[in-house]
Amino acid sequence: MEIKRRDFLRLFGGVSGALLIDGCGLDEVFDLPANMIEKAKKGAGIEAWSSTICSLCPGGCGIQVRMIDGIPVSVKGNRFYPVNLGGMCPLGINALHELYNPDRAKTPLRRSGDRGSGKWEPVTWDDALKTVSEKLATVRKEGKSHQVGFLGYNERGLMREHISRFMRAFGSPNYYQFSLTQNDTVAYQLLQGQSQVPAYDILNAKLIMSFGANFLEGGYSPVYHTKLYSHHQDRNTRFVQIESRMSLTGANADRWVPVRPGTYGALALGIAYVLIREELYDKEFVKNRTFGFEDWVDRFGGKHTGFKSDVLGNYYPERASQITGVPSATILELARELGNTRPSVVLGDGGAVANTNGTFALMAVHSLNALLGNIERGGGVLFIDQPPVQKHAMVSEDPVARTGNHQTPIAQPDEIAFPMTDFSIESFAQHVLAERPYPLRILFLYRGNALFQSLNHDDLVNALKKIDLIVSFDSVINETSEYADLILPDHTFLEKWDEVSNVPSVGFTHVGIQHPVIQPLHDTRHTGDVLIELARRVGGTVGAAFPLNTYEEEIKFRMKGVYLSGEGAVATQGVRQLWLDYLQQRGWQIGRYASFEEFWDRLLEHGGWWNPIRKKKSSSEVFRTPSGKFEFYSQTLKASVDRLVAKAGAPRSSQNLDLVLNRLNISARGDSVFLPHHEPVSYEEDKPLYLIPFHVLPNPDGQAANLPMMQEMFGYTARRFWSSWVEIHPETAAQYAIAEDSWVWVETSVGRLKVQAKLSHAIVPNVIAIPFGLGHTSYGRYAKGHGVNPHSIIRNLYDLISGKAAFEATKAKITLAS
Amino acid sequence: MKLPRLTIAIIGIASGSLLAQQIQLPQNPLQGRIVFEEKKCIECHAIGGFGGTVGPDLSKREFFGSTLELASIIWNHAPQMNRKFRQLRMNRPSLTENEMLDLFGFLYYLRYLGEPGSVSHGRSLLTSKGCITCHMVAGKGGKVGPDLERVQGYASPLFMVQAMWNHGPAMQEQIKKTRMSYPILSGQDVADISAYLRQATTGSADMRMSPGNPAKGRTLFEQKRCVKCHLGEGEARITQPGLIRIDLKKGVTGVATLMWNHGLAMMARMKRESVDWPRFEGNEMADLLAYIYFLGFEDKPGDTQRGESVFRSKGCVDCHRQAGGGRGPDLATINRFETPIRMIQLMWNHAGEMEDLVITGNKNWPVLSTRDMRDLYAYLRKVAQK
Repeated sequence: MEIKRRDFLRLFGGVSGALLIDGCGLDEVFDLPANMIEKAKKGAGIEAWSSTICSLCPGGCGIQVRMIDGIPVSVKGNRFYPVNLGGMCPLGINALHELYNPDRAKTPLRRSGDRGSGKWEPVTWDDALKTVSEKLATVRKEGKSHQVGFLGYNERGLMREHISRFMRAFGSPNYYQFSLTQNDTVAYQLLQGQSQVPAYDILNAKLIMSFGANFLEGGYSPVYHTKLYSHHQDRNTRFVQIESRMSLTGANADRWVPVRPGTYGALALGIAYVLIREELYDKEFVKNRTFGFEDWVDRFGGKHTGFKSDVLGNYYPERASQITGVPSATILELARELGNTRPSVVLGDGGAVANTNGTFALMAVHSLNALLGNIERGGGVLFIDQPPVQKHAMVSEDPVARTGNHQTPIAQPDEIAFPMTDFSIESFAQHVLAERPYPLRILFLYRGNALFQSLNHDDLVNALKKIDLIVSFDSVINETSEYADLILPDHTFLEKWDEVSNVPSVGFTHVGIQHPVIQPLHDTRHTGDVLIELARRVGGTVGAAFPLNTYEEEIKFRMKGVYLSGEGAVATQGVRQLWLDYLQQRGWQIGRYASFEEFWDRLLEHGGWWNPIRKKKSSSEVFRTPSGKFEFYSQTLKASVDRLVAKAGAPRSSQNLDLVLNRLNISARGDSVFLPHHEPVSYEEDKPLYLIPFHVLPNPDGQAANLPMMQEMFGYTARRFWSSWVEIHPETAAQYAIAEDSWVWVETSVGRLKVQAKLSHAIVPNVIAIPFGLGHTSYGRYAKGHGVNPHSIIRNLYDLISGKAAFEATKAKITLAS
Repeated sequence: MKLPRLTIAIIGIASGSLLAQQIQLPQNPLQGRIVFEEKKCIECHAIGGFGGTVGPDLSKREFFGSTLELASIIWNHAPQMNRKFRQLRMNRPSLTENEMLDLFGFLYYLRYLGEPGSVSHGRSLLTSKGCITCHMVAGKGGKVGPDLERVQGYASPLFMVQAMWNHGPAMQEQIKKTRMSYPILSGQDVADISAYLRQATTGSADMRMSPGNPAKGRTLFEQKRCVKCHLGEGEARITQPGLIRIDLKKGVTGVATLMWNHGLAMMARMKRESVDWPRFEGNEMADLLAYIYFLGFEDKPGDTQRGESVFRSKGCVDCHRQAGGGRGPDLATINRFETPIRMIQLMWNHAGEMEDLVITGNKNWPVLSTRDMRDLYAYLRKVAQK
């Protein structure tokens, strides 16, 4: 039964907030079962609070849901949960909009029209599961288990292992995850052999220099970083933000340094030049714990150029200034400030990596941390320990699974590209489309919306159309699941169990327990449980791979490992890191419970567990590289390129090497290829303006567009709501006779979009920026038809090392719309 | 000789159990950390350097003594604290009885947690105490005893103490054979040796003991038959010399050291009386030591007569008159003095209001010494029981 939000609030004696809405003529609607409304009409009754973890973004904040007579009525931050310490973003505060969203898939649905037509008919769970399990059984019977794929989103911890387990037991190597943060760790793999996103010790650093990392608004956990940022004044921390468009992080920094898109690496290397030249780097660290800094000789007697020579030869401030547009005096100042402030830490993300040269740019940025000796030090860069969860034994594979798992993954590039990743959405789309090396017959979609977020939408649509059966587990139908044949709707996060462990970039080990605060409102099921059910229906070793009956039991099973470890503490024991350190120094641990049940009850009551005490790590654990050191000269990249050269023909042929490097978009030659360096981006010469998309806090990845309050707040810094806009510097606007609020066409070689202009001094001249998140063609009444999607006019270009989309590699022209 | 001693011990135990009233022990003394933070004590006082600087860092070598000693400190300090609350525009926190017990237990417990060990001193101790003669550390030393590499995973000094204790009899035999002298430890020695072993051995030290649960320690005290020779708590302990003589200011390692040093004499005595050497596992040693430490939390009984004179001389009687008639209630009628913590909670919660009355009535804040507190409690308890 639908009820206006204001009426819902009134039932519980409150009206604040209801008056905020109406900006777009849309009245917010809550969809609740009739019995809940009847209960609510009796007026406010018994109040209770229930702790869980928010899953509306990857941030993993602890929240407390206020319940009146068992009905969730509001949400606030869990002040003890260490990730957010009571802080909340607007998205989390409005989590009820997802629970009560009128456009949820409320029952299993079967497609009744053409793919993408949006026509569905209800079907029972039993019928739907029968359809899927029979199809799975047929594929297996034919020995083609590898022709089943699973496209996930940003799931971590148990859910990722659960899906992996299903796919391995079934016999397919085709489990992939696609999100905007996909393949974020390639630069760290090349330099340090680390496959996790590092945490930056912002709290203890005296200077923070960020190359494009908009950590207060986007990234993995903006609330966590905002909490750390809140101490910057009392701790006298200095923030420098380098980016082409001033983000919220830039606006809160002590200094914003505007830089030309695609040149972040050159700026980092210009700074490295000064650090080396003025001997401001940590010589002991560089000498003992790095490889390839000085010129060196290999075991065959070959001479190699080191990072130092390469930087001193190529990146002096005036040259770096020509490339980046940052004055050489500024480069000098930044480097001196960085080199003379300890501890100082350097971050890279956002615009720095969203280009065809992103990997090399991030390598250059992270190299500054090595020069400063920042790795695994307080106030520096940290790699976080995994939580001590208990795990099941390896899956036992039957012959079908063994054969299937040994097949080439369908998204693995067979062309010369993406040497450092096993998945790129582009490879996936092209290979499914070409049925190469085999057709994909079944695809499971779990959360996410690849079609909205990726580039090259047409090819992905055609690829999806090639697949026999697509099953979506999402709770709302979006652009991608419009192409599904079956919707098996999941619960929303307030109705379901999950384990949210080690949010990337958060500086301590932790596990949050998301648990249902309310029984499911509709006929939905937990995807984890559905996978167990499907595995059981397939039977044999596939069914046996899941010895426990429910996903909830799986979580309990894992947490027994944490309980038995005796490490860390339940989140809300009122302990802070320094207090745990105090105990640790004296040899104590804090968590002690009479039984696992007591430990479990406390976890549920308080939201989770954490352990800020980091284990002692040996050098080989910190640097998992061939040399066991931080590698300025990446031997891992060298080995990957050598493999591609061998694949292309004669391994020692310089012609083949050139071919491979050209195909990888690498213009450098010699040792520079394997060192952090600046790769020029091939922009189109005939377009005058750089086009960059950017992300805003209320809707960072487009997934919150179906929440009306987030639409209402979408452009709160630019005073634009429910619509998109293009930011342009007044000088640039003047060249095109564009005034504030003029309607303009932004045109690229891919297409054009009509938007209103927003004049801003907080953007580099000749750069224009459009927010990402709007422009949905599906995804419910609040999302569809509002604003534009800048990804739809961005060229289909990638960083060919990491497979990340090059969102900032497109140029555009702008004209006044009539 | 044997018979009279045993008789004395039995009488002691019997009288102890007859007279004993159990101390109010916190289940988890660290729970008080939550109260400390929630009630914003941390805004003014730091612990281990983390917290405010308005008041002293409460972990810096402080030992607050028994419940009523600490109550006396806080009570006398109340007007000063109240002024700070007003200055900082903070609400004066009100505490429930459980919160007060947790907070007191926590503050009392801070000293118990000990101090970090010194690696260099630990290294020299291993040689000077002769440990290295029998044990191997980092590839050097004797092979008679177990290789201390085995303790590498244990970060808590108490794991070492527990292991030493458990193999005490075997160690004593060996010491006799080799004619070595029994190693006597002092001060921080246990923590220092443990710190050195953690650094000298190769593994990462992840196994830690939980700070003990004194309530569980109380049970262990019985189970391990410590009670056969030692008086635990209650009035009997207070009237006869027992574990109360331990200098608790040294914290957990101090208590552990005392136990170890006492081991030789204890073993001889136990042999004579055919008592088995108690062995400990898991967290038991920490629990037991926490209990012994908390024996100092208990106050000596007060003097009711003197308590009455405190009640009058400090001006309590001006407001709390018999049969009513004062500003406050007749304390004989409210029957809320079952435990010292109860009294302290009531006093704390009405200290703000009382300060106003003192100021407006041109009176002085009634300063109460520990003895005053004890006697006042004894008096109020007696009055309330009537």
